Amino acid sequence: MRANVWSGRNTVQVENVPDPKILNDRDAIVKITSTAICGSDLHLYDGYIPTMKKGDILGHEFMGEVVETGRGVSNLAVGDRVVVPFPIACGQCANCRNELYSACENSNPNAGLAEKMFGHPTCGIFGYSHLTGGYAGGQAEYARVPYADVGPMKIEDDLTDEQVLFLSDIFPTGYMGAEFCEITGGECIAVFGAGPVGQFAIASAVMLGAERVIAIDQFDYRLEMARNKAGATDTINFDADPDVVEQLKVMTGGRGPDAVIDAVGMESVSGHAPLQAIERLKQASRQETDSGAALRDAILACRPGGIVSVIGVYGGLMDKFPMGALMNKGLSLKTGQCHVHRYMKPLYEHVKQGHIDPSFVVTHKLGLGEAPNGFETFKHKEDECVKVVLKP
Amino acid sequence: MTENSSAGWPRPIDSILHGATDYTVGATLVTMFPRLARIEGTRAARQIRIAGAVHAGYSALTDYPLGIVKAIPYRAHLAIDAIGALALAATPFVTGQFRRGRDQWVPHVALSAFELSSLALSDPTGRGDYKADVEAVRRANMEDPARKIHEGGLAVTPGAAATNGGATAAATA
Repeated sequence: MRANVWSGRNTVQVENVPDPKILNDRDAIVKITSTAICGSDLHLYDGYIPTMKKGDILGHEFMGEVVETGRGVSNLAVGDRVVVPFPIACGQCANCRNELYSACENSNPNAGLAEKMFGHPTCGIFGYSHLTGGYAGGQAEYARVPYADVGPMKIEDDLTDEQVLFLSDIFPTGYMGAEFCEITGGECIAVFGAGPVGQFAIASAVMLGAERVIAIDQFDYRLEMARNKAGATDTINFDADPDVVEQLKVMTGGRGPDAVIDAVGMESVSGHAPLQAIERLKQASRQETDSGAALRDAILACRPGGIVSVIGVYGGLMDKFPMGALMNKGLSLKTGQCHVHRYMKPLYEHVKQGHIDPSFVVTHKLGLGEAPNGFETFKHKEDECVKVVLKP
Repeated sequence: MTENSSAGWPRPIDSILHGATDYTVGATLVTMFPRLARIEGTRAARQIRIAGAVHAGYSALTDYPLGIVKAIPYRAHLAIDAIGALALAATPFVTGQFRRGRDQWVPHVALSAFELSSLALSDPTGRGDYKADVEAVRRANMEDPARKIHEGGLAVTPGAAATNGGATAAATA
């Protein structure tokens, strides 16, 4: 089969690789009909996530048709149309039973590696380095899905792939970020980053009843999508005015937003030239893995007693984390890799009821063979690229 | 997609990393470098301090992400870098100070070599390792980005999840 593989920093290529096979009773093989390039794939592409190996198949957002099942998979049948959540979860460990699927204790065969980095292992993740299990990803014609009796969700209506594909990751991730903000109606929420996850965080905050949602980014076209499609009420382009904290205060009568969502993560950039220079040098020389430009502003801008929700991906260590501001303002910090399984069905209901059309983020739909160009176009924000879907 | 730039070799330094290097090198030349090179108090030290200050100065005036007053185009900045590097290397030989010892010309030549190497690895478009064929992407794209972003109304119903009591309630409904 053909698959998009990591071939070193800033290089991916579509190659012929062996077809996946059933290895365990709880496996299924899915013929992929749609798969997407995630913003977090760029962290692999840019070389910020360790333990990638040449030839690793990328991709953790995918859906398709079941073509084979193991003997232990009774809930799926050949021919079923399914969306596959990016965390691989056994469904039986203590964390899975508590719906903390992205902290599954059994699905990561390289748990020791992750435990050294984070204190406890993470779950396995499709196509996301050997730190998360070294599983082959979904930017391919076929994928093996472990624990297929737990993860994949059947799609039994005529919604398009693009309307349900993002239930695999970015819609639940954005929704979880908004849910962390404890929106009861009338709040002001600031969202750092108007990439695909940021767009869904904005849309989710709007769905949950936030009165005001402020989108922050450096690209006008992404801010326009946030306003036109996701429902942001205000926007800030920090390229035009880098003092985001001050702007947020001015917009909120000096008080600050009730909650702030960081949908940027480890490669955030600052609009302040000297700060960006220092951050870029520290990352380039590996003095830190995670840039704190967005998270620092998020913490400094949030009103006292407010909530800072972090759904952008961080991988290791950050310099100059403003613990003093977090503590002295009494902020709550909520974060995590999304427990996708928990959100798939409820959000699918919202899609079916027409509350949201997740396909609004798709600006590029390409053949699998165009994956290398898709990565570059997405990374460099060319051609007004927000989200790339690949068709194997 | 090609792995190398049009120059025939990889040019991975984008305009942000180039700018960060500009300011760091400029500050180092003005402050620590003369002492580290053991030329403090000499004419060579003054020349290198001036070079560092000028470098940081026109960097601040460059139209790249780390520029403060974006007056000089990035390509012009790179041209000034090249001319400045060659001028710095030539200075000890023009003034004749190279006769006073190796420490009066080696720092100039070494800094010039560093600058020219950095230039060789800097992408003049400022995009660093960008290597996609945008036209091919446009031809292959089955979507219309402009339409998706700029046309049509909201893709979400405000308050829809609040009405239903959130995601969990929708699941159990």
